Amino acid sequence: MPATDPRHRARRRVTRREFLGHAGLTGAGAAALAAGIPRGRAWAQAGTSYPDWIPASTKPAKRGGVLTRASAWDPPLIDPRLTQSVGLFQFVGLTSNRLVRYSFSDEASGPSDLSLKGDLAESWQSDSANRVWTFKLRQGVKWHNVAPLNGRELTAADVKYCFEAYAKEGVQTATFQEIEGMETPDKHTLRVHLKGPNTLFPQNIAEPIAVIFAREVLEEDGDLKKRLIGTGPYTLKEHTRKVRVVLQRNPDYFDKGRPYVDEYVILSTPDDATRKAAFRTGQADFIWVPSPSEVEVLRKTNPNVLVQAYHNTLAPFGLALAQDKPPYNDVRVRRAISMAIDRQKQVDTVFEGHGIPGWGLPYIYYQDKAPTLKELGPWWQYRPDEAKKLMAEAGHGKGFETTIFYYEYFPQMTSQVQLVQADLKKNLNIDIKIQKLDYTTYYGRYVDGKWDGMSWGFQSGHAIGLDERAYQYMHSKSPKNFFRVNDPVIDQLTTKVRQTPDKAEQRSIAKKIVEREFDQALRLWMPYDNGFLVFQPHMRNAASGALRRCDGYGSPTLARAWLDK
Amino acid sequence: MQKYVIRRLLLAVPVLLLSSLIVFGLMRVMPGDALIALMGESGNVGQKELAKLRKDLGLDRPYHEQYLIWLWQMVSFSPGDSIFTNEPIPVSLRKAIPVTLELAALAMIIGLVIAVPVGVLSATRQDKPADYVGRVVAVSGLSIPDFWLGTLVITFAAIWVNWIPPIGYVSFWESPWRNLQQFLLPAAVLGFRLSAATMRMTRSTVLETLREDYVRTAWAKGLAGRIVVYKHALKNALIPVVTIVGGQLGVLLAGTVVVEQIFALPGMGRLTVEAILYRDYPVVQTNVMLVATTLVTLNLLVDLTYAWLDPRIRYQ
Repeated sequence: MPATDPRHRARRRVTRREFLGHAGLTGAGAAALAAGIPRGRAWAQAGTSYPDWIPASTKPAKRGGVLTRASAWDPPLIDPRLTQSVGLFQFVGLTSNRLVRYSFSDEASGPSDLSLKGDLAESWQSDSANRVWTFKLRQGVKWHNVAPLNGRELTAADVKYCFEAYAKEGVQTATFQEIEGMETPDKHTLRVHLKGPNTLFPQNIAEPIAVIFAREVLEEDGDLKKRLIGTGPYTLKEHTRKVRVVLQRNPDYFDKGRPYVDEYVILSTPDDATRKAAFRTGQADFIWVPSPSEVEVLRKTNPNVLVQAYHNTLAPFGLALAQDKPPYNDVRVRRAISMAIDRQKQVDTVFEGHGIPGWGLPYIYYQDKAPTLKELGPWWQYRPDEAKKLMAEAGHGKGFETTIFYYEYFPQMTSQVQLVQADLKKNLNIDIKIQKLDYTTYYGRYVDGKWDGMSWGFQSGHAIGLDERAYQYMHSKSPKNFFRVNDPVIDQLTTKVRQTPDKAEQRSIAKKIVEREFDQALRLWMPYDNGFLVFQPHMRNAASGALRRCDGYGSPTLARAWLDK
Repeated sequence: MQKYVIRRLLLAVPVLLLSSLIVFGLMRVMPGDALIALMGESGNVGQKELAKLRKDLGLDRPYHEQYLIWLWQMVSFSPGDSIFTNEPIPVSLRKAIPVTLELAALAMIIGLVIAVPVGVLSATRQDKPADYVGRVVAVSGLSIPDFWLGTLVITFAAIWVNWIPPIGYVSFWESPWRNLQQFLLPAAVLGFRLSAATMRMTRSTVLETLREDYVRTAWAKGLAGRIVVYKHALKNALIPVVTIVGGQLGVLLAGTVVVEQIFALPGMGRLTVEAILYRDYPVVQTNVMLVATTLVTLNLLVDLTYAWLDPRIRYQ
């Protein structure tokens, strides 16, 4: 650890300069000071001491109560064929089921437990070639008891219809067009024939977005924009845009006795300070905050809260280079840029010591513990002198001018971009002109894939499965390959991993993918904060697993949450 | 008077046309479009699908055609649907307008209730402690931005009294008490800002009026101070105040954008901001035109109020 490691600093008083700086920046900053809490690095020590997992309660679950959350997101529309927005999937996983799912918090052994469980399917198996997958559905699953379904039984034909609809149009076509055909030998059996072998197909349909919707609604309305009817633990009682979403307990849910909570209310609250105020005053039962200092501010007024240090297994943002064009098509330039960036400084300063140095593929797919910066390989260490030499070898010893565009997903991102700009200027004489864009402009330009220079790139937030994170985001032919990776070895490995049934071998291939990615500096991942989930003291069984935060795409786990009051 | 009103109404037509051209042009100049924004929320939609959607929505037509179609939709009161949510715009407006109207009306009331008495007090106690306090309050109101004040108010309310307005809008008709709880703080934040300029103007015009001959005569007649100030001086002092209040309606509407965001109120401000972010052309254009029309109408009403306040004013 460097000498300035924030975790080793003692608490200190707020200086006048800090007071003015923070109070001038935001009201939240001023509020923090009012609460007598110093901001900054000194808080990191407390932050890192929070557990990364809250085990399931051993007490018998209590029925009833209303669970409430103030949410930054609003569903743009409620048709799961047409959006992957977290605004929608923060609750659709509670009104609707998937064929298979990942473990809920009361079943999982820890945050990295990604074992699959049956959701609508009781069991599933493939043929020896991993091309035909047979799913045996649970019997007696009923649709919500509202017209036009009126609580009829779910059949394999419903699932077939749904998968066909996903393949036909919308945002999930890439996943479902992999299906060559389907058959339903009986009411509760679905046989899926794939175009090619894919051992990870069950993981793909366990993604939180692959929910089963009601065919009657699509047939009657022509879309799913007005009604959301599923088989899940909750029914959609109210959805008023920019106001609230109210879910009501489904008494006919197949998992008898569950859910425990009568209603789940999501209040649309776009302002961060208001969400925190709502949590403080008990209007919200849980909240996500990005930094240790903010946890401490909350604990000052709510000392009994439960805190889970969220277990991030990947960094969603990184420096994307136009690597299909000079100078970035030269691996030496990419490596030099990577070595000229001080990632540890970003972790220490921007993320108050509570962050990961950055990697793209969830480490849980290839090793047990989160990689340290050293483990990421030589090109990821901060070695400015070697970076200079490499740049000179590549013929860019005098540096060059370029641009970077980004959208500020969170305030710390701007600091990160500026630190990268400063590092690259100081170490490689690369002059970067920063363009901060609004979301729509940024997104359009980024996914269009024709930009020059650099971008602060991203990978989508919803994906859990290895296939999605590897093949879909890195294969040169994939439409989601936003970092413009075009590497034959990566293509071969990402294809191979989906054809390999053996878990140990999958891990070995995943490791090779990562090593290749790091060696070729294909995606220059940047540090990212883990963040914290803060719960009111009465909340039980709502811990968030890796890649599935309970306030976002991991919301289905709330089917097991209960209120101890 | 009638001729004056008709002339003002006719003059409003080019103003509104110009506004429509500006908002239409600005939205098209901004990079990205609603479908790109939709794609951002949706995942990666193929180029073919995007092209089809653009065609369905008429976004592939030349700009002048798009403008004329939209203009016709506006004059025929059928502004169409939101590109982003598919909700008919009149439905969105029916939900959002009452929220903003209530917020603006309450803010205006709070603003005036603070501004006029404090302004008068400040004028009648010139250079006394009460005047200084009033002036400091006024300068604070002008200097503190809504977003900062709103954030502070909600944060400190939570920390100090463990209370914030209930989140999740309910209409006045559903639950009057809950509704008032929801609106009181945001209206106070907006009203505080509004009161500042009005208070300064009230103070200055009351000071000026108090030095008029007729006021001196009233004092000389031995009238009570309250009657001199409130009956003789204040009414005459109010004309510039009315002007400034009218001029602040724009500020008020702009303020609602921020305040609605902070206090989670689903009004016109939030609707418009979201529509701008997502390049939801029809919603932005309709909202801006609605605001422009409202401001033109309100300014006309303010002008007409002068005659009521000062019968010497005649419109020709």
